[in-house]
Amino acid sequence: MESAINEPLQQQSQISRNKKERNREKFSRTWPLHLMLLPAAIVTLIFAYVPMGGLVMAFQDFKPYDGIFGSKFIGLEHFRFMFEYPDSKEVIVNTLVISGLKIVFGLIVPFVFAILLNEIRKMFFKRVVQTLVYLPHFISWVILGAILTDMLGSKGIVNTTLNSLGVETIPWLADGDWFRFTVVVSDIWQNFGFNTIVFLAALAGVNPALYEAAEVDGANRWKQTIHITVPAMIPIAVVVGTLSLGNILNGGFDQIFNLYNSLVYDKGDIIDTFVYRTAILNGQYSFGTAVGMFKSVIGLILIVIAYRLAYKFAGYRIF
Amino acid sequence: MKKWLSLLLTLSFAVAIAACSGGNGNNEPAPSSSANSGSNNSASEAPSGDNGFVDGKYTTPITLTTVWGLNENAAIFKEGESIEDNVLSRTIKERLGIEVKYNWVVTNTNDAYKTKLRLMLSSGEKMPDVVVYRGDLETVNMLIDSGQFMPVGDLVDQYANETYKKGLELDPAIWLPITRDGQKMALPILDYAYNGDHVMWVRQDWLDNVGLEAPKTIAEMEAVMDAFVNGDPDKDGQKNTIGLATGFKNGFNNWMTDIGFLFGAHGTMPGQWNLTADGKLEHGSINPAAKDALAKLKEWMDKGYISQDAALFDETTGSELFTKGEAGIIFGPNWLPAWPFPDLQANVPGATFKAYPVPAGNDGKIGSAGGNPPSNGYIFINKDSKHPEAILHYYNWFFDNTANPQPGSEFANGFAEGYDYALLPDGTLTADAKKYPELFPGLKEQTAPPLFYSLTYEGARIPTLYADTHVKLASGAAPETPYEKQEFNTRTKENIDAMKVVVDQKDIRMKNYYMGPLTETMQSKNELLNKLLNETYSKIVYGQQPLDSFDTMVDNWLKSGGEQITKEVNEWYEKAK
Repeated sequence: MESAINEPLQQQSQISRNKKERNREKFSRTWPLHLMLLPAAIVTLIFAYVPMGGLVMAFQDFKPYDGIFGSKFIGLEHFRFMFEYPDSKEVIVNTLVISGLKIVFGLIVPFVFAILLNEIRKMFFKRVVQTLVYLPHFISWVILGAILTDMLGSKGIVNTTLNSLGVETIPWLADGDWFRFTVVVSDIWQNFGFNTIVFLAALAGVNPALYEAAEVDGANRWKQTIHITVPAMIPIAVVVGTLSLGNILNGGFDQIFNLYNSLVYDKGDIIDTFVYRTAILNGQYSFGTAVGMFKSVIGLILIVIAYRLAYKFAGYRIF
Repeated sequence: MKKWLSLLLTLSFAVAIAACSGGNGNNEPAPSSSANSGSNNSASEAPSGDNGFVDGKYTTPITLTTVWGLNENAAIFKEGESIEDNVLSRTIKERLGIEVKYNWVVTNTNDAYKTKLRLMLSSGEKMPDVVVYRGDLETVNMLIDSGQFMPVGDLVDQYANETYKKGLELDPAIWLPITRDGQKMALPILDYAYNGDHVMWVRQDWLDNVGLEAPKTIAEMEAVMDAFVNGDPDKDGQKNTIGLATGFKNGFNNWMTDIGFLFGAHGTMPGQWNLTADGKLEHGSINPAAKDALAKLKEWMDKGYISQDAALFDETTGSELFTKGEAGIIFGPNWLPAWPFPDLQANVPGATFKAYPVPAGNDGKIGSAGGNPPSNGYIFINKDSKHPEAILHYYNWFFDNTANPQPGSEFANGFAEGYDYALLPDGTLTADAKKYPELFPGLKEQTAPPLFYSLTYEGARIPTLYADTHVKLASGAAPETPYEKQEFNTRTKENIDAMKVVVDQKDIRMKNYYMGPLTETMQSKNELLNKLLNETYSKIVYGQQPLDSFDTMVDNWLKSGGEQITKEVNEWYEKAK
């Protein structure tokens, strides 16, 4: 009886011992690979993890003169200040609205565009379009900002065209609501090329046999798109959407900073521009760190949630 | 075998990275050791007893330690020369017996000099004999607060020469930013005065086309702007012009495309601290007079006198309205003919412009921002320095010799032949290194003005010299001294005349009286208050908010910290004045 009980246990320890041995054996074969990974790990450690130590500034009354080690700790004072600041609510709402719109339309537009582009049979034309829509992605907002301010001004090319068509001058950048519209549209124009390429890559992987089979079953082009193309793209769309959720508190500093003005503060001022003015211009580095930390934490939480949801509903794991 | 090869590669790579990052880490302490040894050197070399400065020279040469950030101008060296050893440092050593020793030198891109200075401060390092800083007041304050530098008041009284003293006396407010408990904590580096003060630039050809005189009052200016908008001043048959080029994206008191004059004509100046009749400082943006000015500005916007995009433009983009030939008036400094007006002449051939005095308000009030003390940077003297007076002897020498050399004197042509000037075989002066590269040996077709190597950035500048010279030249006098000749040859007639306009109007300038560091409440509330001001101002001008929201704004401003800031500012002023 006793031996009968002990036997499986012994077996189990035997197995684990075997596993350990196998691991050791495997390691003795692969350790040069691990070593080759080491430099990258060290670099990541130095440049991505060590600077995180600077986050303690968020809990300090940081004075450059005293340094990180000499500055006084004041607990959550900066976080309290952040939520009690009269403009905080407005700024957070603006950020959520602007980046929410950017995320939603930034997903829909390339999704549809990729499907349309995929229907084009002329390879040359497809490639050219693909490259052209990707190009704006590489233009800095400092330049784009100047171009847009010029084009969208009261005497810019857009408004003069509208005027000649009998439409009244539109304050693209001088009115809060129009400003949001301009920001979202110009951001999508700048960036949809990148996601289009991602979606096109997903489409390239669809098995042509599916289309052939559908054709045999009498499905027309539209039915094929609905039942084969779209489902094939859903998983990658979930990935793109999940990753972009981490940016929900990033309204796009370069863009807003180069386009906004005092007329649109109430609708266009986002967390980053607000932090730039408070923290950088007024030397409140601790406060800036606190807001940055707040943003990162919210972003992390959102990514984790979206990741779980993606797995649950789309059955897709990214990591 | 292969395994070993990969291992070797990996190891060498890892070592290289470790070495790199280790090197970065080690860089910081390095200056400290050299800083210490540097000051030790100067201590040991210092002569005992009297200062040893006889007949304009230290009989036993002394060493002056410092740190330095090379800017674009001063980074051009002749082959074989450097900031430590060049024609200027040799001259100074020979004439004055002062050897400048640099504990460290950085190329000053992205404020590297400031960053390194701040690092020195935060690690509590010992400062060199002299620290020169040109830049933000925050760093200036940190330097003062470090407690390593000495008050300079007595030194100035004792050692500064007449030229430097006169420059300092031009405006006692020059000491305000660096005064602590009545003690002057740094030497101001002087710069040319009145250089940022505004005039009204008007398109002369437009004025002639509409048959009007230059406006002297706001009312006359409105008549001119009306004619510029509706009278087709550019004679192209289209209604495509506006009156005034302005842009208030950055506020309502700007260094170019300024609109502050309109507030000045109502008796206040926004965005700065003005001195009121009862001797207190007041933030100009909340003065009731600003409300009237805003009402006027809104009227101008409605009538099309100013651009509908004015709130989108900063100074540079706003000035394009003028240089594109769209607007007829712009407010800015005397030097606009050098930049950006050449663009106007390129865009609109035959365009002419002229400087006129800032117009007065309808009840005679007049004002324009400016008139700030002519300082640009500070010299800090270490309180442990063996020769605290040495830097004054150094600065004096430049005032005496290079600031305004007389014809025929040693530095009349420039500092050194083959550096910033050369003489052609026929004896004429040239600074064209591209045309005569053989006359500037060791330089790659460029000149290297040695004065930029000086600790005081450009040798020495006599504040009144620039304005005096221009006033003299504007009256038609022939240029005599090398400086006058240089200005006469490089400045346009419009520029020179504009400077005379500035000097004639020097009494209308409204100075920003607060020159201290950001106060505690400013640090936490400035953003909120500025946003409130700029948003309300812009929205009133655009008609997105009623004029009476000005009063609500003032209440909010005072309640949200403005009252506290006003108190702190006045406390500072009481102590500093």
